[in-house]
Amino acid sequence: MNRNNYDILTLKNLTKIFGGVAAVDNVNIGFRKNYITALIGPNGAGKTTIFNLISGIYNPTSGEIFFNKIKIDNLPPYRIAQLGIARLYQDIRVFRKLSVLENILVAFSDTEGENFLDGILKRRKVLDFQKQQIEKAKEYINFVGLDGYENQLAENLSYGQQKLLAIARLMATNAELLLLDEPASGIHPELINKISNLILDLKEKGKTIIFIEHNINVVLNIADWVYLFDEGKVVAFGLPEEIVYDKTTREVYLGV
Amino acid sequence: MNYLFHILIMIGIYSIFIQSLNIVMGYTGLVSLSQAAFYGIGAYATALLMINFNVNFFIAVLISIVITVLLSFIVSIPSLRLKGDYFILATLGFQIIIFSILYNWVELTRGPYGIPGIPSPQIANFNFDNPSKFLVLSTIFALLVNYILYLITSIKFGLILKSIREDEIVVSTFGKNTTRFKIISFSIGAGIAAIAGSLYATYVTYIDPTSFTLNESILLVTILSIGGSGNIIGPIVGTLILILLPEFLRFLEIPDSIAANIRIMLYALVLILILIYKPQGIAGEYEPE
Repeated sequence: MNRNNYDILTLKNLTKIFGGVAAVDNVNIGFRKNYITALIGPNGAGKTTIFNLISGIYNPTSGEIFFNKIKIDNLPPYRIAQLGIARLYQDIRVFRKLSVLENILVAFSDTEGENFLDGILKRRKVLDFQKQQIEKAKEYINFVGLDGYENQLAENLSYGQQKLLAIARLMATNAELLLLDEPASGIHPELINKISNLILDLKEKGKTIIFIEHNINVVLNIADWVYLFDEGKVVAFGLPEEIVYDKTTREVYLGV
Repeated sequence: MNYLFHILIMIGIYSIFIQSLNIVMGYTGLVSLSQAAFYGIGAYATALLMINFNVNFFIAVLISIVITVLLSFIVSIPSLRLKGDYFILATLGFQIIIFSILYNWVELTRGPYGIPGIPSPQIANFNFDNPSKFLVLSTIFALLVNYILYLITSIKFGLILKSIREDEIVVSTFGKNTTRFKIISFSIGAGIAAIAGSLYATYVTYIDPTSFTLNESILLVTILSIGGSGNIIGPIVGTLILILLPEFLRFLEIPDSIAANIRIMLYALVLILILIYKPQGIAGEYEPE
């Protein structure tokens, strides 16, 4: 089966070694466009390291990463992001001293107003554009259900609300490929459903999603494809039901 | 009356000087220990241009800004690729080197003898040669610099600087070249410090290297931390404390030799209290970690 023709992201012989230990060990996998792909496996299996390699926070020890056929390993993070990859962090990492609205405004890829001289020379134009951006940001805020909190500092939001803000911020980047690191962790069940639905909506909008998740129900509910990791290697892959209901997988890796 | 003018002039000059650190530290989250070096480069460049080449003050200020900004790249381009602490060390090194140059390059700077007889700023035939006139000039400059800072920080540029302060990696994964933003922020800070230095040199008409020491850089960090940073108001509060506290001690009729030491102790005490009870400073929004 030649799946690569349809893959938006390809990892080739990808390896990352930390102090003699291979956190990611010769991984060869592809991610299909407009799929929701789950990465599952025990802690320390190398899932988050894969995200760090894709987004350029780490450079691989060896191997290559291709996004839309462009080789992106060893590019700086900002270049990779500009190509259309955005990320939700496990520890959320909203800008705590910025308002909800400002958190979203920063994430827009438009560069209008990023040159400081424009604040003096093209002020009217920049401010007009900023007004449009604020309207657009409000749509994202409403989409995740944070309306009414626009001017609150992010640090004053609850954990779950911060997670929603991080998702809104992610959407504002307009990236094609979204990397979500444990989107359902640490939040109450009602919010898990809401976030699952948000992720399905994002797929509807044509996004490709890769997510790391320990909550098996979420994986079963939304994933189209699953890679199971252990000790830096892919040990199984397939449809969610195949992986999750497989006896060996359950006992050895998922502990359920 | 001249006493009051003097205080107001120093408030004007120092408000510019402190804003130079505010953009770097308060907005971008980079602690710089080389602001006094940039202040000194501005002061010396303006003084030497006016004395040796008879350049008009306003042109000399522009040239000083350019020189200072170019020199700031020596620190920022190599070190801003590195993380936090290395940058502070680089600025510390730069500060010490610039002081040594001012002190030892006697042919250019007259070293420890300093440069006397710096001319007053002049427009056409109008000379800003006494405190009341100079106050007009320093106030216009202070308002202008604060206003320009407001203009550039109230657009997305300012927002990106603040988000870099909050979490640089996240900003970079939004497609922003954070290194570039940090270099620009640092050079704006350097340029602003040069303006303050130029005003200082032409106001006191005599400069020597002791005004541009590491201590001065550290004091600036202290004062900004007390006043608060990351907005326009905090640094202004810091300036008022910096300038008014010594004057207040003078009214208590404490002898100058003791007052200077008491002042330093008071700064230290206030800084410790601030760090414990109000880490963002009296009127700031940036809270150092």
